[in-house]
Amino acid sequence: MYYYIVNPAAGRGQVKNLQDKLRTRLTQLGISGEWVKTTGSGDATKLTRAAVAAGHTTVVAVGGDDTVNEVINGIDHDNVAVGIIPIGSTNRVATQLGIVTWPQACEALAARRLTPYSLIAAGQKFFLSTLTLGFETDLDKQVDTDLTGLRARIGQFQQSLGHARNYSSLHCKIDVDGQYKLECDLFTLSIANQKFLNPLADNRLIVSLSDRPGQALKLGQMVWSTLRNRAQGALGDEHTTTRFLANRVVIETDPPTGIMVDGKVTSRTPIAIRLTDRRVRFITEKVVADFKNAVSPTRS
Amino acid sequence: MARRTHEDALGVAGAETIIGTGVIVHGNLESESDIIIDGTLDGQIKTAGNVTLGINAIVKADIQGSNVTIAGSLKGNINAEGEAVIRETGHVEGDIRCLGLSIATGGVFSGRSFMEAPPRLDPDIAVDGVEPPEPAGPAPRKPSRGNKE
Repeated sequence: MYYYIVNPAAGRGQVKNLQDKLRTRLTQLGISGEWVKTTGSGDATKLTRAAVAAGHTTVVAVGGDDTVNEVINGIDHDNVAVGIIPIGSTNRVATQLGIVTWPQACEALAARRLTPYSLIAAGQKFFLSTLTLGFETDLDKQVDTDLTGLRARIGQFQQSLGHARNYSSLHCKIDVDGQYKLECDLFTLSIANQKFLNPLADNRLIVSLSDRPGQALKLGQMVWSTLRNRAQGALGDEHTTTRFLANRVVIETDPPTGIMVDGKVTSRTPIAIRLTDRRVRFITEKVVADFKNAVSPTRS
Repeated sequence: MARRTHEDALGVAGAETIIGTGVIVHGNLESESDIIIDGTLDGQIKTAGNVTLGINAIVKADIQGSNVTIAGSLKGNINAEGEAVIRETGHVEGDIRCLGLSIATGGVFSGRSFMEAPPRLDPDIAVDGVEPPEPAGPAPRKPSRGNKE
């Protein structure tokens, strides 16, 4: 039976308006199940653990990236599938899995196409999509990016650009798999599972970093694309100057700085980030095996 | 000579490694995909893909890759399964082992080069069940039909 964990605060409380429609559609599809609501931070992790212990094999996060992240931190069994109904302010994980709207999410849940992803550990916390540090993380403290509308977006851009002009690059040292060490000044750094960005690729960390552009125009473009990607839930690396794959990285910065995982500041540098053996099966829009066969019919 | 596989084209082999300007790397860089370096590196470079040193690259390393293109500065040996190319701004101090070597005007190469000829197929040996071609000469006449003698 499906176990739905609802974050009532997600997406500025829009679940209230959707709940009836959502339940009706899920019942029509024959996947109505048990519904529970979170009441605070960390609640979804506890509810997930309880659900798995009770024998539920499908846990659905009804919320944004934060809710999804709490759910995957509560899963410690291989046989549990995770679904997402994206109604949060930031829905990067769902977007990347091909799920954009709630009606589409319901169809995907009913179809139950599963793709396994290895989780990434940052200290004690597990995550699937993105870890960032540097300007993008700092931006959250300075600018309210939740507001939508043209006027709000223009205001956010002006604030962000002003912040970017005054933001000093961090000096960074990264140990990569114990094989080589990398040293540079960085403006932003992001880490994701490569498979998350490209379902055909292997599970590996993809580390992207960029230094502050010298030209004002490029800085403006960078700030704009950061805001746009956040709004669309996309992961952009169009301004990346350095990118590499790894299984484990240890990051030190001078000065130490905060690390944001799926839109939430969770810890600070220095920190070790590694790809784990812990796999979670996500209900996705497309099944990878079908895609592989479609593009490469001769491959066995 | 490009050796990109179908997996590479689909991105299955993984994203390419890019080391940008201003980045300093110490150690051995290993990858299964292409490597592009425009920063500073001291160590070894080994990949099944192509290696490109950009115009700003300053590298002290032995390089092993499929095709190797140098537009920056390299102190070390190149072992390329395909071609090695030194561009106009390229500077190589070291030996090069490859199938084909190209040095643009202005490119500097100080070292020895070892060219390995590509393996040739023996026409008498059948490959993957395909019969070897007929020896050159006049084709045997087929018996004609319908002609009255």
